Amino acid sequence: MFKILIVEDDDALREQLEIGLMASGFEVCYAATGLEAVPAFEKHKPDLILLDLMLPGKNGIEICTEIRRNSGVPIIMLTARTDDTDMIRGLEAGADDYVTKPYKIEVLVSRIKARLRPLKEVLHPIIKIGPIEMDTLSHEVRKGDKKIALTPLEFKLLLTLASHPNEVFSREMLLEQVWEYTYKADTRLVNVHVQRLRSKIEEDQEDPKLVLTVRGWGYKAGPE
Amino acid sequence: MVFSRITKAALDRFRSSLTLRALVYTVALSGTALIVLGGVLSVSIGNGLFSRKTEQAVIESNRAKFTVSRIFEGVSAQGSWRLERALDEVVPELESIGVSQTRQVAFLHSESQTNTKNLSSPTSAGMDLTLITTDFRKQVTNEVGLQTRTIQIQRAGESTPAILIGQKFILPGGHQYELYLVYDMYNEQQTLLFVQRTLVLGGFVTLMIIGFFSFVVTSWLVRPVQEAADASELLANGDLDRRLAVRGTDVAAVLATSFNHMADSLQEKIRAMGELSKMQQRFVSDVSHELRTPLTTMKLAADYLNEHKEGLPEFTERSIVNLHGQMDRFDLLLADLLEISRYDAEGIEPVFEVHDMNGIVGHCLAAIQPFADSKGVYLEADIPSGAVQVEVDSKRIERILNNLLTNAIEHSDSKPVLIRVAQNEKAVAVSVTDRGIGMNKEEITQVFDRFWRADPSRKRTTGGTGLGLAISYEDAQLHLGQLEVTAEPGVGACFRLTIPKRHDITDFESPLPLEVINS
Repeated sequence: MFKILIVEDDDALREQLEIGLMASGFEVCYAATGLEAVPAFEKHKPDLILLDLMLPGKNGIEICTEIRRNSGVPIIMLTARTDDTDMIRGLEAGADDYVTKPYKIEVLVSRIKARLRPLKEVLHPIIKIGPIEMDTLSHEVRKGDKKIALTPLEFKLLLTLASHPNEVFSREMLLEQVWEYTYKADTRLVNVHVQRLRSKIEEDQEDPKLVLTVRGWGYKAGPE
Repeated sequence: MVFSRITKAALDRFRSSLTLRALVYTVALSGTALIVLGGVLSVSIGNGLFSRKTEQAVIESNRAKFTVSRIFEGVSAQGSWRLERALDEVVPELESIGVSQTRQVAFLHSESQTNTKNLSSPTSAGMDLTLITTDFRKQVTNEVGLQTRTIQIQRAGESTPAILIGQKFILPGGHQYELYLVYDMYNEQQTLLFVQRTLVLGGFVTLMIIGFFSFVVTSWLVRPVQEAADASELLANGDLDRRLAVRGTDVAAVLATSFNHMADSLQEKIRAMGELSKMQQRFVSDVSHELRTPLTTMKLAADYLNEHKEGLPEFTERSIVNLHGQMDRFDLLLADLLEISRYDAEGIEPVFEVHDMNGIVGHCLAAIQPFADSKGVYLEADIPSGAVQVEVDSKRIERILNNLLTNAIEHSDSKPVLIRVAQNEKAVAVSVTDRGIGMNKEEITQVFDRFWRADPSRKRTTGGTGLGLAISYEDAQLHLGQLEVTAEPGVGACFRLTIPKRHDITDFESPLPLEVINS
């Protein structure tokens, strides 16, 4: 049974969320303020975090940054702010996905399940892209001798691209294959995560060699 | 053609430049004054020169009378050879007296007398005797004293005015002679010409100086006006911080001060209005946001109840169904309200990518099919084969199409709805045409207004928010495209969306007609 940490300051909404998630078969714990979020994460060790962006004490973006320092735990932002800047800042801080209020419980559950679903079996346990080596069994990523810490989402994104080198993936295709969106979602989700991925694996972010932009179409894994 | 164009350009420049106009008027008026002054001066100097020369000539003629009398003194009437000798003396003697270097002399024997044979009529060398007309000679012989006449003589190939003075003498022996002296006015003429030339040159230089000064002074006077005009233009174009420098206390300073006052109050008004509008927009946005958290809770609760309503008493179950349905509608309304407030706040950041319009339309048709089926409406599609590439934000285009299709199906009277896609060089168009109730002219003008509904008495089946077409219109504008409508009551309505293929295309025509189907 997966354990979900809900960080939400509105008591009624939190309780209703707990009801909905427990009815869908999840174990639930919660933090009611921003300050309680990180201690609650360390105490409960949840499999996934639902994070409200507007919180008293410490806002969701700060919490996200703090957790991302030493954990790749899936984080889904819950936000009333459909304003793009907030959403983008949350993604840049390391959130994997976002759901805007008001949402249906089915939508939220399907987003949660997409993030918790294990990777599909791949033919070769070791995938190489340039100097990067990906172990699909241990989920370890190495660049030479150096270990690179990727979040599960970043791992899945790089794996999707690297499994088909030089094949162009449109942003919509990546949303479908990596995020498991079956309907249209904001393609900037892809842009922000490609940027985060590049900052971890590329020598020079401004001149990427491994994850290349194909103007007007999408992205592809580098020439090797 | 070229000339008239230059004239027109000059005329335009003249009309538009205050300085130029002032300059031209000043120079024209000063020029006229100088011409009159120069003319008067020239005439009066000429007259002065002429009368002085005449006086001098009269004095010299009187002196000549004495000279002639002296020559013939003591010459007896009988000694005709002595008379002849004396006659020979007259011309050289008279040519040498006085100050006038340019004098010609003629001492003529009056022809009317018959007993004067063999007596000569001596003249200066080069004397043109035709100058002395018989008319004038008659006057000299018949009148007493000096007779004066102005004539033109030839000198150095030029015609020069001269004074001709005639008087008569009775020589010893009763011989009547006429003495003619010609004083030419070449020098005076030259002097007058020199004076005239000096006047013209001086006048011209004066005019230039007047022009220059008038230009300087006018520019200086016009500058504050010009500055005010420039500043007003900039202010009108939105540069609200534009102010004029106030120098001194004169009328120009008053102009600058009042202009600055006007600009201040204008800026303040605009700022206040902008603030108000921003506050209103933020209010709508804040309200929408604040509503979202409780709405989410209510929606989650309503969803949960809806899922677990089985086995509850009938009234409870119906209440849950109503609650659930209305929560969804409330949700849609809030989303639309938030979207339109974002358009008002210009906070839209579209994601433009190249898409196949056929794909987008196909997707929308598939999504709307269940609704069309439920209303018994047949969707008829006329879509070109091959890809129709266009640079769009696909989510927004889908939203427009979804709106148009929903409206068309709702108002179709269960008759087929036609969806067409077409492209030309520059643009892509999609039209949605129904054969339903249509709209009158007044309704057509209001169709994109917020919260406007075609027929208030009609039952709302889809629970539209009344903002759909307003948002669609904004969406089309965002793509630099057009959303247009035509309709006829009882015939149907046609909505046409036209989008340029790329954003740098501004001048395009729709590849589809905007017309209802008359069947």
